[in-house]
Amino acid sequence: MTTLTRQDLNFGQVVADILCEFLEVAIHLILYVREVYPSGIFQKRKKYNVPVQMSCHPELNQYIQDTLHCVKPLIEKNDAEKVVVVIMDKEHHPVERFVFEMSQPPLLSISSDTLLSHVEQLLRAFILKISVCDAVLNNNPPGCSFTVLVHTRDAATRNMEKVQVIKDFPWIVADEQEVHMQEPRLIPLKTMTSDIVKMQLYVEERAQKT
Amino acid sequence: MDELYLDNIDEFVNDHDKIVTYKWLSLTLGVHVNTAKQMLYHYLDHKRKESSDPLHATYLVSGKFVDNGQTSHKVSVVKEDQLEDVKSKMSLIVSVHVYSVQKALLKDSGPLYGVDYDAVKDNLKNCSRYSAIRCASAVPRSSVELQQARHTQPAPAPEPEHKKSTTNGDATPASKPSTKPQKSIMGMFANKSALKNQDSGKEVKSEQKEDAPVVDEPKSKPAAKANPMMNFFGTQAAKKTVKQEEAAPSSSSSSAEQRRPSSQPEETHAAAAAAAAAAVEPPKNSKKDSRSKTKRMEDSDSEEEKMDKKKRRRIKKPEPDSSDEDVIPDSPQQMETREASPSPKEEVEPVSQSHQGNCEMKTRKRRRVLKSRTFVDDEGCIVTEKGYESESYSEAEDDVPKDPIPAKRPASSKPDEKKSQKKASANSNKGTKQASIMGFFQKK
Repeated sequence: MTTLTRQDLNFGQVVADILCEFLEVAIHLILYVREVYPSGIFQKRKKYNVPVQMSCHPELNQYIQDTLHCVKPLIEKNDAEKVVVVIMDKEHHPVERFVFEMSQPPLLSISSDTLLSHVEQLLRAFILKISVCDAVLNNNPPGCSFTVLVHTRDAATRNMEKVQVIKDFPWIVADEQEVHMQEPRLIPLKTMTSDIVKMQLYVEERAQKT
Repeated sequence: MDELYLDNIDEFVNDHDKIVTYKWLSLTLGVHVNTAKQMLYHYLDHKRKESSDPLHATYLVSGKFVDNGQTSHKVSVVKEDQLEDVKSKMSLIVSVHVYSVQKALLKDSGPLYGVDYDAVKDNLKNCSRYSAIRCASAVPRSSVELQQARHTQPAPAPEPEHKKSTTNGDATPASKPSTKPQKSIMGMFANKSALKNQDSGKEVKSEQKEDAPVVDEPKSKPAAKANPMMNFFGTQAAKKTVKQEEAAPSSSSSSAEQRRPSSQPEETHAAAAAAAAAAVEPPKNSKKDSRSKTKRMEDSDSEEEKMDKKKRRRIKKPEPDSSDEDVIPDSPQQMETREASPSPKEEVEPVSQSHQGNCEMKTRKRRRVLKSRTFVDDEGCIVTEKGYESESYSEAEDDVPKDPIPAKRPASSKPDEKKSQKKASANSNKGTKQASIMGFFQKK
């Protein structure tokens, strides 16, 4: 039995790694399922022992990786309250927002050998849920693009602006237009609770998309 | 059976938005699989008559299929709109039944696998409790036999590539630590997984269901495989194989999801070709987890690539029973193109793999290594392709340029022409990340 606390062995880093990997897979899957990009650029890969669709396009992959690389320090310190994948139409009005709300218990300690496989199982359920989410969502108009927003607690972003984690990849404060959506409809997708993180995924959808 | 099951299924499908496969249903409700199939059928029928809620279903079709004069038994999971089409292509239909019911229109077959994964994992010891496939002589091996099986596996590895089957066992050091725990349970699935792994190996990252049949392609030496295949036939693994196989052809026959088939001939050919292509994958790891149907080991060696292509083509998949999939297509050409598309996908750190392969293979044969070449194609686009190159880089004669997806890309309406194959870095990132996290916890 191992008991790790947050201070031990950069436990926060481990959790951040797990979550960022998951977010990467989830973002790719959202792009695939919501048809933001043509399905031709995706190919099947494996994660958590199930097939997932990941993009092959190098620039897209790099963008997503850079984004998550910058988000990781926030997650490590438990400053990231929400990570939102916003899908916008041609006029840059959001049509859908996939919100990943996450929180870590303050006294992180794990004392279970099966923790990792349990977390894997929960994340697998998330992936499955994203795959079938188009049952509850209306179709998007063509020509959509996406962006990633991070809502942080307190003023953690001040640090982000001072220190560019990745060169030439600045983060800016999001416009009101991107953050708020008209007439949103809330559709919860999945919730998970585990020893290391509590996460919730829901979708805000604009009532009229076209 | 009482009518409660209709309400149960209704709850699963509509309230929970689940994908209800027959296998999941049988394990959840504790009924025989055939009963589950009938339940799904009745539910579908009932719902379609009474309301207009869109319900989508996938079907499993199995039967004899004639392709270029070759008869094979094909098992496919198809979407409803392709059902009639596939049925008409078969020369003799052995069985058709509902595979799954869900509210969402699935774009690819991935979630179907995910649905069953957890259900089967929870019932690992008796997941064939409700199965219709039986073999009286199929009993789990005792631990003594397992040990013996494991000891004999590494022994043939030093042999020349002819006996490819167990070579993958030696490749295990390269595999992720996750395969280790699989050994114990999967010892008896060892050879089976080799076949599966082939399949999985084929699609680099894509552990496709469709790969399953491909795996069965004689990538590895069929002779060596024949026996283990026989052993597995009656066991639970067989059930999985069947499922895998069905998944595999079904994926190929199901429409959108594969990019690969975009340039390929129709589904039937694609299925056959895919099988051949899939065979490219070396019998990945006999020890690998055969349970995952579309098991695609990330660190599939390039060993199979080192194998003689010609030899691979001729290898006939051992067909212990009619329930297996397609026969290898005869035309090497098809193989070639097919290989091209899966092999570029199968990326997995070719260089490091070749090193591993080198240590194990003590022959003097020139190895073929999957390398990336970046060049400007005739459309003025920068394309990165993977091709087989001889390891010593002495000659380029063996470099077989593949025309994988990028070549097909221009045909589609993709605006951005700049495509590169799956990046090693992304994969390796995932691979190493996984390994590091697992290792982190195992350290304790």
